[in-house]
Amino acid sequence: MDTKPKILIVDDKSENLVALRTVLKNLEIELIEATSGNEALKKTLHHDFALALLDIQMPEMDGYELASILREEEKTAHLPFIFISAVYTDNLNVFKGYEKGAFSFITKPFQPEMLINKVKFFIDKHQQEITLFELNKELKTMNKELEFSNKELEAFSYSVSHDLRAPLRAVNGYAQILSEDYSPKLDEEGKRIIEAMKYNSTKMGALIDDLLGFSQLGRKEVQKSDIDMNELTKAVLNDINKTMTHKAEIKIGSLHNLKADYRLFHHVIFNLVSNAVKYSSKKEYPLVEILSEDKNNEIVFSVKDNGAGFDMRFAHKLFGVFQRLHKTKDFEGTGVGLAIVQRIINKHGGKIWVEAEVEKGATFYFVLPKN
Amino acid sequence: MEKTEVEILLIEDNLSDAEMTIRALRKGNIANKILHLEDGFEAIEFLFGTENIPTPKVILLDLKMPRINGIEVLQKIKSDERTKNIPVVILTSSNENPDIKICYTLGVNAYVVKPVEVEKFNKAVHDLGLFWILTNQTSY
Repeated sequence: MDTKPKILIVDDKSENLVALRTVLKNLEIELIEATSGNEALKKTLHHDFALALLDIQMPEMDGYELASILREEEKTAHLPFIFISAVYTDNLNVFKGYEKGAFSFITKPFQPEMLINKVKFFIDKHQQEITLFELNKELKTMNKELEFSNKELEAFSYSVSHDLRAPLRAVNGYAQILSEDYSPKLDEEGKRIIEAMKYNSTKMGALIDDLLGFSQLGRKEVQKSDIDMNELTKAVLNDINKTMTHKAEIKIGSLHNLKADYRLFHHVIFNLVSNAVKYSSKKEYPLVEILSEDKNNEIVFSVKDNGAGFDMRFAHKLFGVFQRLHKTKDFEGTGVGLAIVQRIINKHGGKIWVEAEVEKGATFYFVLPKN
Repeated sequence: MEKTEVEILLIEDNLSDAEMTIRALRKGNIANKILHLEDGFEAIEFLFGTENIPTPKVILLDLKMPRINGIEVLQKIKSDERTKNIPVVILTSSNENPDIKICYTLGVNAYVVKPVEVEKFNKAVHDLGLFWILTNQTSY
């Protein structure tokens, strides 16, 4: 495949064309000649040019006119020109299209080196444009593929939620029937086993729901607004009081406002605070503190508890999906909550981290840019 | 049971779900005349198969079914003058359903996601039965 860039040279005198050809003979280019404006226009129909060298003084259609027409045509609107003129001319303004694209000007007799350098410059520029165009095309293809796999993921999530939940409900339901209708025939161990079946199928239902929540998050657009975090935190505490049996003393500082997605940050604060309450529930005086701080252009939030904490050597695992640092028999959980929280913070251009010590408690920090 | 005597029409391909649903209704003393059909095709046959169009107090309809799915059944019911006033409740497994909007556009009367937990499931079905059978006034 011949991929040499093509250059259009237009001059009414064939000896000038020969001269140009001689000067440019060492460049990796293909020269296409035309001896009039009309012929040049015809050539542009059949070739894609990287550059045009135009003589200005030509009969019928001069170089400026030709250039103006080329600028009007879609195919050549961005074709760069080098005008070549025998006389110095200051009437460049007659060429009306010059603001649309690159061009240069050379007077005859010209230095061969000068012309070669100018041509090289435009050829390089042309090559860069081609590379850029191809990269762009590749990017568009990849984008399409991404869109497609996103759609597939959506269909997959739907199947997972629908098809996995149905048999679970049946397991749960039949276990219930067993305990309702046959409990006189069952001894304590039999009843315990039924409860274990129900507990596990319920837990799997929760896992599926959490996992779906996590995958849905990836597809949702973030809708930012100014959030009064004091008000949001109050609403969260209200929800926590309703859903959690554990109680803790909760101290709230004067919190800074955030520019974020309200629904998502309700989720973040709910998750962090309910975790703090959960993991401090075995302490004599469970205490949770929620604070914020203005640091330069960022707001740092922290949720601190005096609970079970954990070994910092495992801190890197904490934000992974299905990762837990505590046994279920000690603290319930699916291991998805913090993965969701991290994803939300990341989507807002922020960062989350944690400091903890075994049996002394944990402090979760997240930082968000002010705007 | 005569066709016209049916008060609750349950259209559900998952036999376990159907059993749980019927059990929950009976447990809630909603022992009305329940007919269970196993897919959309049977439902269409039952509803439109003869000149005699039944008018149950409520239709409990699953979405994902073989042959003719719930959306198609809903569309047929709500676009026919003779059946469009029958309350239709979608009972589906998924809360991730892209069809919720379509169902409401088609004129569904309620859309319920079946909970995994038995207690919640029973309560949901029981409440549905109470409302649609005992509380709600039909137009016929």
